[in-house]
Amino acid sequence: MRPESASRFEALEAQAETIMAVFRAAGYERVAPAILQPAGVFLDRVGEDIRSRTYVFTDLDGEELCLRPDLTVPVCRIYLDRDPQAAAPARYAYNGPAFRYQAGAPNPLRPREFRQAGIESFGEADALSADIGVFATTWDAMRAAGLSSAAITIGDVGLFRALVRAMPIADWRRNRLLGAFWRGDALPRLLSRMTEPHAAARTDLAPVLDRIDPDAPEKAADVLREHLDQTGAPFIGARTAEEIAARLVIIKADMAEPPLPAAYAEALRAYLAFAAPANEAAGRIAALARAAGLDVSHAAEALEARVDALTAAGFSGLTFSSDLGRRFEYYTGFVFEMAAAEENPPPALASGGRYDGLLAALGAPCVIPAVGAAIHTERLLAAVKGAP
Amino acid sequence: MTPDARNGDNLVLAMPSKGRLMEDALALFSARGLRIERLGDERGYVGRMRGVTGVDVLFLSASEISRHLQTGAVHLGVTGEDLLREQMADADERLFAMTPLGFGHADVVVAAPACWLDVSTMADLEEAGAMFFRAHGRRLKVATKYMNVTRRFFAAKGVSSYRIVESLGATEATPAAGAAEAIVDITSTGATLRANHLKVLDDGVILRSQANLAGTRAARWSKTALAALQTIREALERR
Repeated sequence: MRPESASRFEALEAQAETIMAVFRAAGYERVAPAILQPAGVFLDRVGEDIRSRTYVFTDLDGEELCLRPDLTVPVCRIYLDRDPQAAAPARYAYNGPAFRYQAGAPNPLRPREFRQAGIESFGEADALSADIGVFATTWDAMRAAGLSSAAITIGDVGLFRALVRAMPIADWRRNRLLGAFWRGDALPRLLSRMTEPHAAARTDLAPVLDRIDPDAPEKAADVLREHLDQTGAPFIGARTAEEIAARLVIIKADMAEPPLPAAYAEALRAYLAFAAPANEAAGRIAALARAAGLDVSHAAEALEARVDALTAAGFSGLTFSSDLGRRFEYYTGFVFEMAAAEENPPPALASGGRYDGLLAALGAPCVIPAVGAAIHTERLLAAVKGAP
Repeated sequence: MTPDARNGDNLVLAMPSKGRLMEDALALFSARGLRIERLGDERGYVGRMRGVTGVDVLFLSASEISRHLQTGAVHLGVTGEDLLREQMADADERLFAMTPLGFGHADVVVAAPACWLDVSTMADLEEAGAMFFRAHGRRLKVATKYMNVTRRFFAAKGVSSYRIVESLGATEATPAAGAAEAIVDITSTGATLRANHLKVLDDGVILRSQANLAGTRAARWSKTALAALQTIREALERR
């Protein structure tokens, strides 16, 4: 194990001061979130990729804690601690260590203890202006630290949602597709399954399913209770009879649905493989959707407006990738990543995005718009000053 | 001094220190002409192998054996494949000469409450987990001591609407106790699972495990150790 956490401590400190000065000038107040965090909020909210790499432990009181794998959730908790109703907009900046397990031999670009410098903007009603503001401030900070150019990728998690929502299909199918967006390989498998004719119903379920009426779902829980009474299986665990019955209703109703139209599956596959210059993306995505009879013009226009605003702010030559943002389940809209402008660039120097649902999930009384970004400071230093 | 494969020339063989696993392992070795005896009193944790020179035997708990194989503190060990794969994600690269020994059979399985009529596959578990998250604001908890094996298997099946809670004993009782909703655990007959009102998912058998002999590349292999390995492998392969 390395005896020292930051091998270039002084250089990192100097760089952090430069970055924080840019954040301060842009109106972000500095906060210092706790390094020790309750494990539950992370394990429940972030995607599998980060979750499986979070250092989790139990303290002597039996409380389950983690070393924060990321600073966004801790900064959200500070905001809600100060303003539980999330009544007033706020802008926070931070610089501090985060921790993620890294498999394999030590790699200076993937240290398990690293420092994130970042910003979060909460409650700003004008989403477009907040998106551009966070993006531009992140870039300004990296430029102030000495970075002269970057390969920038943008994405929009909301477009996949728009495609799925445009499909005239049953709610449960929409939910399945939306959930699988975060599961990598599971999505192509789900699409193949959904477009095939149904397998025969499971015989063990037939006696129960026969008695369930999709038009009277409220009675399904009683059918389930009766059946379990007869078979002697008690209810254990936190899932209620109503929740189990709700899925039985879906299973029954799904058997009566025709397979997912191949054109829809094709549109989703084409979208997931889609990457293009950002200024062409909105038009091509709208066309790809239209070819399947789907209307996503609203979401595509939002993307176009954002690309136009970025161009007006002096950012051109950006790439759009549909895949971006799929590792963090809390993202809901705009996402971006800034990498060193080299061939085969090392992992991203900075990344960020919009996460409108997270504050409500952490206790805010309603959906609060939020967007933020973080710089991986060790990588930025290496990109500016060369490898250690 | 405790024998250590990182210094010294002798081959260090780790054997299970208690229970059926120890009895079966000693019986098998003995039947193949490799009689192992403990030094000192009966509870001593150091032993030797009669008739084979250059072998030190250590009696360790089954999970310590996989840890020692990872670090290279022993050359060779007898333990369950489940523990080897839990300890080392890349067990096939780190270990060699893995030989199933025909005892210590146990399946590592995903089990859910029998009352979950709607869940019989891993895909069902994922969808039930997603609905559970929407209803309860938290993920389904899966109790297990096989944290790494579970993560790899669930990821391969595209299941991520869950979180792991570490369980160090009586895992099968956690769903009824409310500490978890589902489990990953070993089972041999399934009777314990049934008694706890759990069922194995159709595609939820993660590993059909049994006791294995395994050597590790992490140890320093002297000529003496290699020669002893050869003798032991030949004896075990003899019928």
